[in-house]
Amino acid sequence: MRRTMVKFFGTTILLGMIVLAGAILTGTADARTLDEIKAAGRIRVAVFADKPPFGYLDEEGKNVGFDLVIAKRVVKDLFGSENAVEWVLLEPANRVEYLEADKIDVVFANFTVTKERAEKVDFALPYMKVAIGVVSPESAAVKDIADLKGKKLIVVKGTTAETFFASNYPDVELLKFDAISEAFQALTDGRGAGLSNDNTFLFAWANTNKGYTVGIPSLGSLDTIAPAVRKGNKELLEWLNEDIQKLGAENFIHKAYDEALAPYYGGTVNPNDLVIEGGVIK
Amino acid sequence: MTAQKRDVILDIKGLRKSYGDKIVLNGVDICVERGEAVVIIGPSGCGKTTLLRCVNGLETHQGGTITIDGREAGSKNFDWILVRQKVGMVFQSYDLFPHMTVLENILLGPLRAQKRTREEASGQAIRLLERVGLADRVNDFPRQLSGGQRQRIAIVRALCMNPDIMLFDEVTASLDPEMVREVLDVILGVARQGMTMMIVTHEMGFARVAADKVIFMEGGVIAEEGPAKEFFTLPKTERARRFLNTFYFE
Amino acid sequence: MRNSGFDVLLSLNNLRRLMLGLGGTLEIAAVSVAVSVILGVLCGFAMMSKNRAVYALFRVYLEAFRIVPILVWLFLFFFGSAIVFGANLEGWFVSVLVFSLWGTAEMGDLVRGTVLSIPAHQWQSAEAIGLTPWQVRRFVIIPQTLRRIAPSAINLVTRMVKTTSLVVFVGVTDILRVGKQIIEFNMMKNPMASFWIYGFIFLIYFLICYPISRFSKKLEEKWSY
Repeated sequence: MRRTMVKFFGTTILLGMIVLAGAILTGTADARTLDEIKAAGRIRVAVFADKPPFGYLDEEGKNVGFDLVIAKRVVKDLFGSENAVEWVLLEPANRVEYLEADKIDVVFANFTVTKERAEKVDFALPYMKVAIGVVSPESAAVKDIADLKGKKLIVVKGTTAETFFASNYPDVELLKFDAISEAFQALTDGRGAGLSNDNTFLFAWANTNKGYTVGIPSLGSLDTIAPAVRKGNKELLEWLNEDIQKLGAENFIHKAYDEALAPYYGGTVNPNDLVIEGGVIK
Repeated sequence: MTAQKRDVILDIKGLRKSYGDKIVLNGVDICVERGEAVVIIGPSGCGKTTLLRCVNGLETHQGGTITIDGREAGSKNFDWILVRQKVGMVFQSYDLFPHMTVLENILLGPLRAQKRTREEASGQAIRLLERVGLADRVNDFPRQLSGGQRQRIAIVRALCMNPDIMLFDEVTASLDPEMVREVLDVILGVARQGMTMMIVTHEMGFARVAADKVIFMEGGVIAEEGPAKEFFTLPKTERARRFLNTFYFE
Repeated sequence: MRNSGFDVLLSLNNLRRLMLGLGGTLEIAAVSVAVSVILGVLCGFAMMSKNRAVYALFRVYLEAFRIVPILVWLFLFFFGSAIVFGANLEGWFVSVLVFSLWGTAEMGDLVRGTVLSIPAHQWQSAEAIGLTPWQVRRFVIIPQTLRRIAPSAINLVTRMVKTTSLVVFVGVTDILRVGKQIIEFNMMKNPMASFWIYGFIFLIYFLICYPISRFSKKLEEKWSY
């Protein structure tokens, strides 16, 4: 008797949770319109707090980074002051949910544009592009995929780099590792001619590990990084796009690069491999 | 004779009790007078323990009446909580409160239920402890005492409420044999001082000495009752004779 | 330039931020534990009612918090309430709510189990000396329950303190999150930062939880009978 009752209530609760979860996925919370944001006098911007050099906290605990430089400028364009903002610190896993639950107005958190995400949120014009690259010792720099013929390339299992080479250049022999730390160790031990991974990551590594260079800075299909708003928040999206085009006219993203990324990547990287001005990919 | 003249403390008439289909008490009549020691014996499951628990309100009965000090259980001005202060009970299991010292155990009822002063009640408690030879254990915890000592304290705890009647429910049944005597001696001493009591026991030697009246129960009814001397030397019924014979080897 | 990296702990700013994060953690833990103890005791006694529906309902409530991970509950209240009801609950409030609900369920079950473990003759002998039902609980049952429940209740408290690290997922900044922020900031110039910061956080958790469990050991020894 007791058992069947527990089962009955258990099933009821489970069903209830499924319904609730379904409601969360389909989402109904209304986003704040541009006018409502202006009336409130503050915009809620989601950023990272632990992803240098894009979004992180400096020694005093202040929000800084490449995303922040751009976001602050956007806030200033909207309100005339870069302080009319509430920074919401979030984790990569729930950027979409924060937008759907209307806990934020816009995301500036190294948000890579993908098809799946574009179904749930509206991306504005991109301000950055990322691709895979190849890092190698300066003494035997790999500058072209042809240089890899008959040599070993180090990759991390399950990354874009692995699938890219496996499907496009099957004759390049891959040396696979589970963790990125093992992969870099293998490169410094000389077990491969080069190592392929996301180029932003390689730039930073090559900058602190002397004697290595990102010989191939950009390979394969480009991913873009863009701000995002709640799906259907049209006015805010349009205003954001206009503002990004305006920033492009004054080459602002390059300024942001110099301020936030250059110290991490060093002088050898060409900013044009990473930044997008005015939302136009060249 | 009327009840008043005989000074009846406890009058049970036609008491019935059953758990579901199982009838435990099937019409029991017992009358206990002030100062009388009634010993109830009988085979296991005959209903003697249930009978005691009904007298204390720990079990509810389904038929018949229990009248304590002239008041009928269940009637308007009858309150078990008040009645229990006048009906002391000692159980088979060691039932002292393990988180309290001996003295705290004894004083809980007098102070909290009877609202007596600590000074007066603890004076009585010490006197009673002296009587059972445990005055030096007053600040010990139950875990520091032997089974026999615990049961003696439990008796003191009940006595310290100044009850009109004491109920003993097989108080020596879980004791090691060498401790049985010290507890029975205490009960006997209390009986000699004129305390009214109902005792359920399997100790026939003790019953023979302590009882004014013996009640032999079987199958939820009283099979035989009479003065202790008569009952033990010449039981009237065949069933009582057979029961008594199980205690002797021939 | 490489050094031992210990200087990451010498920065006053870093220490101040870690302590602020710790404050957030402890505040949530303390409020939830207080609520759980009070409601849990009430809940536990209510659960002993003979009403089967009441008991079944509690059982489902308890199992729901045992089967479904706490993180899911946090998300359910944090995002779910906003999407379904349009109620934008603060991460701090959601954390206290979920931890209190969880703690109350576990505490209620502990209280219920412990009270039932007290032998029937303890109730009866307390009744037999003429105590009222409330006095029976007040002087005999609750004191024994407290002694028996202390070890597992304190275990629950330390579990709750440790589980508060989940609150970062609903936007609350706790000590672990601050630690991660400092580590990432120092990643390039001080690769050993993670060792020192996590070591420091380990020490802090230890300093909080160890005295609690020592205290429970002491109680156990003192109250054993």
